[in-house]
Amino acid sequence: MFNYDFMQNAFFVAICISLICPCIGIFMVLRRSSMIGDTMSHASLAGITLGLLTNTNPIIGAFLFTALCGALIEFLRKYFSHHLDLILTIILSLSIGTAITLISSGHLKANANVFLFGSILTVNATDMISIAALTVLSILTLYFLYNSLLYIAYDEEAARVAGVKVDLINYIFAILMAAAVSISIKIVGVLVLSAMIALPVASALQLEKGFRTTLLCSIGFSLLSMVIGLFGSYYLNVAPGGFVSLTSVGILLVVLVIKNIRIIMSRLRVR
Amino acid sequence: MLTVDHVYFSYHNEPPYILNDMNLTVHRGDYISIVGDNGCGKSTLLRLILGFLTPIKGHITKSTHNLRYVSQKNDFSHAGFPITVQEILDSYRKLLHIKDKNEVDRVLALTNMADYKNRLISKLSGGQAQRISIARALIGEPDLIILDEPSTGIDRKSQESIYSLLKELNIKYGIAILSVEHNLEMAIANSTSIYHIANGQGHLCSPEQYVKEIMHRSNSAEHTNCSCFTDVSDRTTPGPNEVCQNSTPTSAVSTKEVHHV
Repeated sequence: MFNYDFMQNAFFVAICISLICPCIGIFMVLRRSSMIGDTMSHASLAGITLGLLTNTNPIIGAFLFTALCGALIEFLRKYFSHHLDLILTIILSLSIGTAITLISSGHLKANANVFLFGSILTVNATDMISIAALTVLSILTLYFLYNSLLYIAYDEEAARVAGVKVDLINYIFAILMAAAVSISIKIVGVLVLSAMIALPVASALQLEKGFRTTLLCSIGFSLLSMVIGLFGSYYLNVAPGGFVSLTSVGILLVVLVIKNIRIIMSRLRVR
Repeated sequence: MLTVDHVYFSYHNEPPYILNDMNLTVHRGDYISIVGDNGCGKSTLLRLILGFLTPIKGHITKSTHNLRYVSQKNDFSHAGFPITVQEILDSYRKLLHIKDKNEVDRVLALTNMADYKNRLISKLSGGQAQRISIARALIGEPDLIILDEPSTGIDRKSQESIYSLLKELNIKYGIAILSVEHNLEMAIANSTSIYHIANGQGHLCSPEQYVKEIMHRSNSAEHTNCSCFTDVSDRTTPGPNEVCQNSTPTSAVSTKEVHHV
């Protein structure tokens, strides 16, 4: 299987996704805004279609448009501070509206459908360079902003008092979310991308450990989902997005079952 | 250390003002409790001092930037957040650019929480979590700690322990404390001054003076069965000196609480 170039490319991208998505996802989940990931992944479809229309790399198109949508979400928070759901509806209307209009116009120079479900065949050398650059930049940014992002999620007011520029960091985080989405769309696809952002974190949260351990476990679960998902996709000849998503749900179920078995065992021991 | 000078504030940027010509000065070693009815502007004043809001008129001057904030917590504040006490304190130390790694152990020892260093914050009781918030506020040896209702959701025994810790920090280390309080009993027992807010204005007095005023009003209300102290909504705005003497509704302070003090 690894004799094929496309599989080597797919696994390289899978490792990038496994690193970046849980690192972004953990902050989104803890800020109770994981649905932003879903909205931004759908928004990326508009960026892809714009990229295809202008004959530029769709990953770059997705990154630029999704970053713009992320910044717009932060901007609209000032006007709809207690209505995040409404903001997400506005962004979805803008982006899906753009995507559908462009796809139905018949002017696109390629098929956008492959981005909906993901594909292991379509990752080319240009994509690899874009994805590697975005991954390195994102991880470096996360490393430097780690404590600020952690405190904005844990206690935003305490972060402000400590001198953290919360609004600026929220805009930077929106760009990081855009990077995570852009990296993932080729393999995972737009429709189930939020599974890679939220589900590994959901599984890791069940372990009830500290922040650093939870983050590392999220990356581990994400990597496991991607590897099993890609193998499954190859051997069953199905779209990787769906199978990766199902694997993530499966891992969450296994974690929940093991957790409950341990609880029952400990109760029995007490009796 | 901190001066609130003729501050006016309204959330709609126009009158009527929630805070109407507010004045307050905090010196080193002060322990001031801010009291008043719900919605009188106690927390708004804190948010102005912390810089989260901007006054419409007036100035807030801070001669120290070494101040910390302990926000109001409810039972669900840390529910499900996967973070240990060590991570909470060490991350904050790094945010404040304090290089000494022993600072975390120092503040844990000061708050008597060293044994809880590796525990998850979500597994601690309300009182223990509040002590961790105070430990965090002590990182970097602050001059002023601002607290918003530190006894919210905490049982009586833990409350006493929290206030005893705050008083010790105030007396032993000279840290100024400015605390919004709904717990009048603890405010009167521990503060050096009470800042009472009513009708958008505040007045500073000693705890003893404040108790006398409350008892005087309670007795007057009982003797005369007069409603003038139970409803201040129809009164014209009093001057700053009048507020502490006249405007506390009896509903805000029960006679039982005052007798206990």
